[in-house]
Amino acid sequence: MADIAQTSFSQANPMAAALRASRLQILAIPVVMAIFALIMGNFANSFYLTAATSGVAISLSITGLAILYGQLGLVSLCQFALVGVGGWITLRLGHGFDLPYELNLLIAGIGASIVGIIFGLPALRLRGLYLALVTLMLAGIFQVIITAWNFPDGGDGFIGRAAGAGRQILEKPSLAPTPIAYFYYVVIIVTLGYMLAQWHRNAKPGRAWALIRKGQTTALASGVNILLYKLWAFALAGFLAGVAGGLLAGVAGQLDSRSFGASESLNLFALAVVGGVFNWYGALIAGLALRFLPAALQDFGAYLSVGIFGAALFQALAMEPTGVAGRLSLILGWFRKKLMPQKSTPQNAMSEGGARD
Amino acid sequence: MIETEGLTVRFGSVRPIDGLTARIDAPVAGLIGPNGAGKTTLLNVISGFVRPESGSVTIDGKSFVGLSPVERVRGGLRRSFQTEQVVEDLTVVQNVQAIADHLALGSSARSSVAQALQYTGLESVRDELGGSLNLFQRRLVEIAKCLVGEPKLVLLDEPGAGLSNEEGEQLQRIILGIPEQFRAQVLVIDHDVDLIRAMCEQTLVLDYGKMLALGPTAQVLESDSVRQAYLGEL
Ligand SMILES: Nc1ncnc2c1ncn2[C@@H]1O[C@H](COP(=O)(O)OP(=O)(O)OP(=O)(O)O)[C@@H](O)[C@H]1O
Ligand SMILES: [Mg+2]
Repeated sequence: MADIAQTSFSQANPMAAALRASRLQILAIPVVMAIFALIMGNFANSFYLTAATSGVAISLSITGLAILYGQLGLVSLCQFALVGVGGWITLRLGHGFDLPYELNLLIAGIGASIVGIIFGLPALRLRGLYLALVTLMLAGIFQVIITAWNFPDGGDGFIGRAAGAGRQILEKPSLAPTPIAYFYYVVIIVTLGYMLAQWHRNAKPGRAWALIRKGQTTALASGVNILLYKLWAFALAGFLAGVAGGLLAGVAGQLDSRSFGASESLNLFALAVVGGVFNWYGALIAGLALRFLPAALQDFGAYLSVGIFGAALFQALAMEPTGVAGRLSLILGWFRKKLMPQKSTPQNAMSEGGARD
Repeated sequence: MIETEGLTVRFGSVRPIDGLTARIDAPVAGLIGPNGAGKTTLLNVISGFVRPESGSVTIDGKSFVGLSPVERVRGGLRRSFQTEQVVEDLTVVQNVQAIADHLALGSSARSSVAQALQYTGLESVRDELGGSLNLFQRRLVEIAKCLVGEPKLVLLDEPGAGLSNEEGEQLQRIILGIPEQFRAQVLVIDHDVDLIRAMCEQTLVLDYGKMLALGPTAQVLESDSVRQAYLGEL
């Protein structure tokens, strides 16, 4: 794992740093998302709009994975289980109480964040393959529980399951009652989530994570409380997953326990790497791929997209550690250079814009 | 002031520090000795990364026994490493900020970071990534990190290794100014005896865990035992 991270660091360069350091970069997120939302909102048919809504929602949980893996080199294979936790809480609250949807999302985020910290505890001792295996087992445990309970659908009691005809659909937020409005709603909340994650990367936690990545000794010698900052990363990743789950529950008003198997968490991690864990838009690319590819390829059988994801993961691990987003960033940097040639010397044109901004 | 009393460190059957009792009080002091003499181990003990089997370390009269490395950093102890540890994908200023973050400096954090960068002459490269720096600049970043937030004791592990003569002279000036500018004591390890001679009032010579000599640098470097055990080897 360390090797992968290392390779990508060497692609970093001064121009990227200047960009990263600037506040402008965090503001690029809402601008790009607004353009994306307007295009999708105006041109997608209802089938693709639904796919885009859930893809964007899921991408928020991928942002959490990108923090864990890109910032700390930690492989967590239970992220989709945390999406499930957030979804469960949102459905439970939505059916049981009359709170605003936004408050439910917040509680779902906090709830999943707490579970995320608990899931992250093994990470304080384990690394690499062992951590991956332990988190995969946790995802397995969630699969067992959620298969037994299933998601709340308006019934009584803590588990909230209704028998047969009593089943209910969760209402969409009062701010966004229609599918198209809900799409924009999801985009706005996910954009805020992306910005929260990006802020973390650029601020004190990001610097502490960078030191931990460099080595425990270095981090300690700089006064970093390693335990705190590792758990912080897990808390943030859990929070983003929980909110993602709450948003996902609103797409169809229900969730199916069968789509929360441990293998989904594996898939999610693979796509996070393919999309790119060092750029904020890597998660968006990954989330959309996760929903669009299977939709586009459904005539060819369910496993073709899994095969494609697998091949893409292999390609990313072997040759493209910064993922699709990293490649895109290099291309954008090249264009930026073409448009503003006076700002730099020709020899670093290709690396400009950086793989990690 | 660094005082050790009967300090012993054991790794299995090896005793890289063996009953060391020393009192280092010069503003800039040197620590020399052949490879494997226990120099880095002494730094590790002082900074809390290695627990001694027995003995004690006091800094400015305060015992550091039982304090974690992080607590020692908060108490004013700073160190660099033999292999430089600059984070490649953080900028120079971010590398230095990364320690200021954890020192509870409040509103003075910015000026403290700026002062450290200015003092080490890194201001012109403050927004460059660590990965794009040359070795000298990296060493300076490490020193700048040591100067943030009222350091009391700065431990430098071979800061001059691999530098050109010119860079070495610049480094020397920077290190020499630390006690006055930052009111911190400096302990420097280096194999370059000329650099030590030029910078350090006092020098401790370690030889496989034992103290071979301690005193004014010129005197120490002249002594027969040191010339035989250490300089003769070079
Ligand atoms: N963590 C450790 N575990 C076991 N042995 C160690 C450890 N750290 C150091 N040693 C041993 O202790 C001895 C002293 O090592 P140390 O690194 O302190 O030497 P040094 O004086 O810094 O040498 P150099 O000039 O090569 O840096 C060596 O024999 C080394 O192998
Ligand atoms: Mg050493």
